[in-house]
Amino acid sequence: MAPMRRESDTDHPEWFQKKRKSRPLIVARWVPIALVGLPVATLLAIVIYPTVWMFYHSLRDTNIQGLFMGTHSHIGFSNYADVLGSERFQDSLLHLAQYLTFGACLQVIIGTVLALTLYEFVKSNAIRTVVLIMLVIPMMLPPSIVGVLWRFLLTPSNGAVNQALLNLGLIEQHIEWFNAGISLWSIIIADSWNWVALPLLIVYSGRVSLPPAVYEAARVDGASQWKVMRRITLPMLKEVIAIAFILRFTDAFKFVDLVYIMTSGGPAQSSELPTYIAFQRGIREFAVGEAAAYAIIIFIISAVIITLFLKYMKGVMRARGFA
Amino acid sequence: MAHLEVEGICKGWEFPVIDELSFAVEEGEFFVVLGPSGIGKTTTLRLISGLETPDAGRILIGGTDQTRLPPYRRRIAMTFESYALYPHLSVYENIASPLRARRLPANERDKRVKDVAELLRIAHLLDRRPGEVSGGQKQRTALGRTLVADPEVFLLDEPISHLDAKIRHELRTQFHTLEDLRKVATVYVTHDYAEALSLGDRIGVMGTRGRLEQVGNPRDLFERPANLKVAEHLGQPTINVIPSRIRRDNNGLFLDSETGDLRLKLSGESEAALAGYSKDHVIAGLRPQYIRPIDEAADGMELLSAEVDVYEPLGTNGIMMANLGSMSLTALTDPEKHYETGQKVQIAVDVSGLHLFDADSQVRLTGIT
Repeated sequence: MAPMRRESDTDHPEWFQKKRKSRPLIVARWVPIALVGLPVATLLAIVIYPTVWMFYHSLRDTNIQGLFMGTHSHIGFSNYADVLGSERFQDSLLHLAQYLTFGACLQVIIGTVLALTLYEFVKSNAIRTVVLIMLVIPMMLPPSIVGVLWRFLLTPSNGAVNQALLNLGLIEQHIEWFNAGISLWSIIIADSWNWVALPLLIVYSGRVSLPPAVYEAARVDGASQWKVMRRITLPMLKEVIAIAFILRFTDAFKFVDLVYIMTSGGPAQSSELPTYIAFQRGIREFAVGEAAAYAIIIFIISAVIITLFLKYMKGVMRARGFA
Repeated sequence: MAHLEVEGICKGWEFPVIDELSFAVEEGEFFVVLGPSGIGKTTTLRLISGLETPDAGRILIGGTDQTRLPPYRRRIAMTFESYALYPHLSVYENIASPLRARRLPANERDKRVKDVAELLRIAHLLDRRPGEVSGGQKQRTALGRTLVADPEVFLLDEPISHLDAKIRHELRTQFHTLEDLRKVATVYVTHDYAEALSLGDRIGVMGTRGRLEQVGNPRDLFERPANLKVAEHLGQPTINVIPSRIRRDNNGLFLDSETGDLRLKLSGESEAALAGYSKDHVIAGLRPQYIRPIDEAADGMELLSAEVDVYEPLGTNGIMMANLGSMSLTALTDPEKHYETGQKVQIAVDVSGLHLFDADSQVRLTGIT
């Protein structure tokens, strides 16, 4: 127990007084303003201004010529009407739904299953590490390489995947991986290979940090393995899994690279995602106004989905007494 | 019939945590294992519960060997130091979890959970989650989870050590009144001697390697500590340890501290303790309540001059560290008095409170053996 110093009740100790008296004004007045101002200015320049600029042009008939000559005129929301009414956009929404369900969602589910399997059934730390590293390697490759690699692997005539499936006797003839109706699946396969380790890592680290005492309590209670998984592990990993979903879903809305490299949206626009169209119309075809409208619409859709996830997470966190 | 018997259990070979630990707990007995942290108390509980398997020895519950049984087949219940509540389940579901694992019918489960919640005064919290209740309520929930399981052996791992003093006292009294705990064998682990003295029917003081230094009822342990370690562990402020020399002359038997600052004339019990003792050196232990600063000397009292080093006023009493030349003694003072650092005081030492230990083995000297 610390001794009580009676004399210090009113007077501060010497070292404290000294420090208080001699403390100089270190910085000039403009320094704090600059410290806050610079980041704010940067943010304004690279985020706020482009966004406002984009919204402005989404309401105008801007094209490449108009952009440089300054000859574009206000056309209200007709860019939006064109985009929402076009079959191309509606199809791309279906493609996006397909990608979100069988790409992003399935990646999180498979990643979760792999992570928990790895944790529950592989007890050796060395093997765990090796498996984790192997699974993480695809994430370290640049998307362009992944795209080229999978184009190569999925080449219909003598690609490695078709050859392997033929040799195993799973298929009778070559699968035309880049035909309409299949090409988007090819992209999903490549993307899943590339990214399944992300939810795996997130869920695995979440599982590692769960308190071991809770599992011991469950052992004393006599809960079965399956019951522990269903009633303890998965509920306790809820918010971690939600984070994995959020990350994969935000990625889904900026997912252009593999589409561009593997199929360029084709054949016949059958593997286009909304973002890819925005990129195509804006950067390749310079329909700036229309591309801006695309971007705004994608932003709204993604904002709605992510908000729903965050709301869910907030609910979970509140139930835990965090928020 | 002893309900829990631990027979020579060992855990860990190269660096044994528990080395040949044996004890028995009767039905209805509250057995407290007291010891500093890291000494193997929790490991002992984990071995009894079956979360870990001993490398040697047997664990018998109700007369049958259960050393190799998994935890849930043992009819034991255990609270954890960290409570180990399921954070995503309500208080109700937390308490109900052992019953769910046993597939008890819903209406009976409901009744038992509510009964236990009523008993522990958390019935109004059943819908809340562990994150939404206080530390004391969390602890009661954890306790409820063990009570509801209706076991034969209770294992309580520092159940109230992490709570603040007021709730700790409240829960301590609650332990006294819990009838359910009085019908089974309970092993209660703590590092707090006050908890041990308050709750234990018997107390085992654990030393290194899980060795029980002394097992006995609270009074025994406090008044007749078997060795210096036990004496040091029980009591707050800690007992004064004075390495001393024995001097015999015509006037009687004297105890001189090695520093020479303290000379005490021995009488009564402490004199008897030294009968037949041939060595010159002993370690004297004297609890602070036998050392008091005093204003006027009563008859026959020996007074010593000292200087106050540190004084802590604690309300119901005060603790003074007093300097006697080159040695320092802790004394208990009356609440009405205040002292300043550097103040000169007279202190009286009551030799009837002396404990004498062998200088080498640190074992209590009891007289002729």
